[in-house]
Amino acid sequence: MKKIIILSIFTILFGSFSTNAQDCDSVSRVVESYIANDDKGKPFVSDGQVYVAFLDNEKAEFNTTLYGGSYYRLAASAGVKDDYVIFSIFDSEDNLLFTNKDFKNSPYWDFKIENTVSVRIQTELDTDKKVTGCAVLMIGFLK
Amino acid sequence: MNSLNKYLIAGVSASLLILGACTEETGEDTMDNGQKVIDPELLDPNRSFNTSFDGKLFSVPSPVQTALLIRSSNLAYDESLLNSEDNIGNYTTNTSKALNLGIYGADLGYATLYDQNAKSLSYLNVVESLSKDLGIAGAFDAKFLQRFEANSSNQDSMLVILTDAFRKGDMFLKENDRKNSSALILTGGWLESMHFATNLYAKSKDERILHRIGEQKQSLKTIIDILKEYNADGVNDEILLQLNSLNDLFKTVEITNEFVAPVTDEAKKLTTIKNKTTMTMPDELEASIRAKVQEIRASIVGKPA
Repeated sequence: MKKIIILSIFTILFGSFSTNAQDCDSVSRVVESYIANDDKGKPFVSDGQVYVAFLDNEKAEFNTTLYGGSYYRLAASAGVKDDYVIFSIFDSEDNLLFTNKDFKNSPYWDFKIENTVSVRIQTELDTDKKVTGCAVLMIGFLK
Repeated sequence: MNSLNKYLIAGVSASLLILGACTEETGEDTMDNGQKVIDPELLDPNRSFNTSFDGKLFSVPSPVQTALLIRSSNLAYDESLLNSEDNIGNYTTNTSKALNLGIYGADLGYATLYDQNAKSLSYLNVVESLSKDLGIAGAFDAKFLQRFEANSSNQDSMLVILTDAFRKGDMFLKENDRKNSSALILTGGWLESMHFATNLYAKSKDERILHRIGEQKQSLKTIIDILKEYNADGVNDEILLQLNSLNDLFKTVEITNEFVAPVTDEAKKLTTIKNKTTMTMPDELEASIRAKVQEIRASIVGKPA
């Protein structure tokens, strides 16, 4: 019995770490599917980064700069359903520029930027649908 | 060997077998049209996780965007701007390798945008070599190289393939608690885009490039914040000293933001952000920033400024 317990403990511990990383990886593939091409089939160029946060009834955010004259797509996911993640964009004076909460938590949205703007992008889970989990957001732009 | 040791060894071995099955992506997961095939067995919505992510996010605009701006200015390709491939032998620490992976990645993007295929492939080899040294060879594997070379006549595809690979490498580093390496790669890429912009503004006096230089104020602050955050054992002290001296110059760049209500087209899932920004940077300040960028870059790539 002791042999089984020791083997089981190791397997569960190490197995869970690798499975969790793999699950965030699976979520990132979902997001990649949203950011692959625009409606005309033109590919989005990745900004080369992945924004991953483990959310437990909290928000994660980061600052970035969106360049004038550019066309971006933001996409986010936390699992197999499309509408788990809420993402919002604020300018440097905390004016809300966009939130997908107003659009049924759409998993992606496009942005045309007239003039360069420094923004804060905030992500959270819609806790009516998902309380904790790995949320992944990606940014792409059109060439 | 006593019984407990035998079971410990068996337990670790079983765990390693499981880990080994999960480490690298295997098999084709992309359809012929480039769309990803999604594993249908995804997450139980009520499942909880332990991950290595510390909840801190950071972002630096892609150097490809500045390269695109430069390209649109009709400035001629200037190979002398690039970090020579021969310098790769100088990079022996993880810090110098990560910084220069970012630099070479930006150079690769620049060469690609100017359809310099031979140079692109040469820089691809350098990127692959450094990525191996940093343990992210999976992002720039044989499949990536084949796809890049197979699309060498299609600039759009090459850019997508290249930036997807950097994204994959970024994901791997963050999943494996190597955020400092991720931050250093981004820093190198940012610095190289500043190197392009400052040099080419000096030649062209293109106001759009001048504005792009000034717009880096926030990005530089972000870079300094993240390098401080992940500065275990002072590994980032030297680069932080240099970037802080650059930041002292950027603090005097005046940027104002005026909110203008955005316009949304729900059917197209498109929002136009109309905020107005002004940026003021006198010539002397631009010259000082240019000199400081060149000094920092020279110390990283390993040649006199």
